[in-house]
Amino acid sequence: MSESGLATGSESRSDARRLRNVAARALIATANPPRSTGADLSALIVRVAENHDRLAFTALFEHFAPRVKSYLLRLGAPPEAAEELAQEALLTVWRRAPSYDPNKAAASTWIFTIARNLRIDLARRESRPALTPDATEVADAPEQPDQSVCVAQDEILIAEAIRRLPADQAQVVKLAFFADKAHSEIADELGLPLGTVKSRLRLAMGRLRTALTGITA
Amino acid sequence: MSPKHHPPEEILIDYATGALDLHARLVVAGHVGVCPLCRRDVDVLNAVGGTLVAELPPVALADDALPRALARIERPQPAQAARLKPPGDWIRVPEPVLAAAERHRRWAAPGVWVAPVTGRPGRARSYLLGIAAGMKVPRHTHRGTEFVCVLKGAYVDQDQRHAPGDFALNDDSVVHQPTITGDSECVCLISATNRLVPRDWVGALFQPFVGI
Ligand SMILES: [Zn+2]
Repeated sequence: MSESGLATGSESRSDARRLRNVAARALIATANPPRSTGADLSALIVRVAENHDRLAFTALFEHFAPRVKSYLLRLGAPPEAAEELAQEALLTVWRRAPSYDPNKAAASTWIFTIARNLRIDLARRESRPALTPDATEVADAPEQPDQSVCVAQDEILIAEAIRRLPADQAQVVKLAFFADKAHSEIADELGLPLGTVKSRLRLAMGRLRTALTGITA
Repeated sequence: MSPKHHPPEEILIDYATGALDLHARLVVAGHVGVCPLCRRDVDVLNAVGGTLVAELPPVALADDALPRALARIERPQPAQAARLKPPGDWIRVPEPVLAAAERHRRWAAPGVWVAPVTGRPGRARSYLLGIAAGMKVPRHTHRGTEFVCVLKGAYVDQDQRHAPGDFALNDDSVVHQPTITGDSECVCLISATNRLVPRDWVGALFQPFVGI
């Protein structure tokens, strides 16, 4: 699809719409069978990295931008800010696609970390120059490959691990990711002692670790 | 060598969800960058976050969102600032920490330097602290909670040796007198929940000790 001739030149709105339709069809075509959706989304990022493939980018945008916006709204961002950050997150996907390694992270994992880091940066932006989205992280050390533990990146397996959490643990995990609340506030909201919230988070962490790495430490 | 002292799991969870403030986040990032165990847990949590977000009901964007994005990717990228090279004997740290070390390093007392990293001017919330070999930090406690990650050298605190990558959490329940051990200076990245003027604070801390 990268030979479709759409990769260069400026796009008028109707071109963009056409592109969107083509890309949507391409996504539907590649997303079949449904079990491989995650792998196909990863492949789209690789196509962006290797070919500056605008169709692949369009498909990624259509899939992820509305979910990133949903995530930011859930965290309490005003709609305009959520819209703008979703834009920036996908723009960052385009720019940083060459650093994406499909063996290390599912597409959804990678884009989540981009959106999360942009949100953290937002608070700081008023008084300071913008950081790059990964400015608060340290990249993987390429010199220590043997030390890294393989974390399963199959989204179906991850979703299954989350589904298997006991309800009370799943609840605190989701609040931790979506409510933008300190543990003490989660405890207040649930009417639970802080220690209970912490122990549920730790139990959930243990189960998720075992499910995704096979390690029972 | 892998670090021996790790942040508690709920701090790693706050790191992965983004609930940790920027200041504390930099300190945890220093540890996670060199600790395979905590890196693994953060990878697990990032995968969980990604999947939870992927399962959210999509919210429609503005009609012109995609054309705007397609126009924006055509624009030339802003020039990337040259990456700062970390000092060869430090563990790897996030970029803002290196920038602070280059630009804002000041002596607070003989043998002791500080460099504010984040926070408003004069009110750092995270800072670098370098202390010469063999020095002892005067006995003190903490207001609020402080996170520490050793970037270089080592100190001994309550019989525990803290070497590069090691993480510590100190609060008002801790009264201690860390001692720099080994023959190099010890550099730590520190964040605090209360607003600090680290140079004054560190200077005052060392004042009776060095007689300034
Ligand atoms: Zn660790």
